[in-house]
Amino acid sequence: MRNNIFIKSFAFLSLSLLFSVQGMTQDEATEEKPVARPARPAFESGLLFDNATTTIQAQKTLEMVIQHRFGTMDNGISDLYGIWAPSNIRLGLNYSILNNLMVGIGTTKFNKMQDIQIKYNILQQTRSNSIPVTVSLYEVIGIDGSAESKFGKNYAFSNRLSYFSQIIISHRFNDMISLQIAPSFTHYNATEHPVDHDRLAISVGGRIKVSPQSSVILLADFPLRIQSISEHTEAVNDETGIAKPNICIGWEISTSTHAFHVYVGSAQNILPQENMIFNKNDFFDGDILIGLNITRLWGF
Amino acid sequence: MKKSLKLLTMMVATIAFLTINMAMIQKPGGPWDIPAKYKAMKSPLKANDASINSVGKELYNKHCKSCHGSKGLGDGPKAAKLETDCGDFSSKEFQALSDGELYYMSIIGRDEMPNFEKKIPDELDRWAVVEYLRTMKK
Repeated sequence: MRNNIFIKSFAFLSLSLLFSVQGMTQDEATEEKPVARPARPAFESGLLFDNATTTIQAQKTLEMVIQHRFGTMDNGISDLYGIWAPSNIRLGLNYSILNNLMVGIGTTKFNKMQDIQIKYNILQQTRSNSIPVTVSLYEVIGIDGSAESKFGKNYAFSNRLSYFSQIIISHRFNDMISLQIAPSFTHYNATEHPVDHDRLAISVGGRIKVSPQSSVILLADFPLRIQSISEHTEAVNDETGIAKPNICIGWEISTSTHAFHVYVGSAQNILPQENMIFNKNDFFDGDILIGLNITRLWGF
Repeated sequence: MKKSLKLLTMMVATIAFLTINMAMIQKPGGPWDIPAKYKAMKSPLKANDASINSVGKELYNKHCKSCHGSKGLGDGPKAAKLETDCGDFSSKEFQALSDGELYYMSIIGRDEMPNFEKKIPDELDRWAVVEYLRTMKK
């Protein structure tokens, strides 16, 4: 009898323990870890003047991009401060395959540049700042559509290709201020002497929101002169110089489906690799022009 | 002959005028068929939450103002082009709607009212917009 009570008590205790352990395990299993809230995008559109931002539109969104650069204001009123001068235009289409993956194509007037772009966000800033930055990998492949004669006697299709690779790191400080810094590497398969084929550069951009829909936007691209990776002697580089920084300041207006940029900047080329290698306009020497960007979104 | 031609012209002009005006009259939206799941939803934000006048206001201005107007009176620049009347967010009838009903009407949408689930992916941001509509009460 005593044994029977002992066995029953033991069984009851064992079962109780088993159920309580099982219950605890289930609680742990069903207790979801709180999901960190992603920060709101640092920038309203995927475009900041001639640069990309870490912003990627929602999955299955098509973005049409129109970028227009008037001529420089050097000639003053005679060509209405560059508005009547030859202008550069790019038309592009970007599509968000995933919330963090975008692909795009585009065509540009100068040099008949065709481009393929891809942007992939590997990190997303959270509101708690447990992840303090959003990080994007950005690649632009350019295809120069100029006549064959531009590429000299030993023409090959690969001479037309150029590559721009960038890591974009952004931080949204608050509802008003966002900044991004973006080191990049540009490579041209073919350039004319004495232009280097490769260029490291760093870009810094920011946004200061001044009303729910309007912001002041800023950008500076700094091509870096690094003698150790240059193909030319220091004397040649001293004489020819490298591409000038592209500095832009403007106004952004964003709506549910559009973003507009109106700005003054120094680079007339639109693809980033073109600006990093070939920009000869010096912002501080008055080589400035008016630029416009328009983006339009369609959701599918 | 001249008189009848004049009469005919006037009749055609009158019919054209009436047809155009009839087409331009906006219809009221009609009752919403809101699933029970949404009707039962309660706003997780308190009425004085800081995000209402920051995030809610910003998102309202970005996504809603062009049709609904800055004060929710349905007088935004795009409103006149819609077939459906945008309604008045300051009215007693609108403000009497439950949190969940406002959420469904604002975020899920129907017909001309777009869906904003993709454009406003964060749940609390959506509620900030809904709560911002509450501040438009007369």
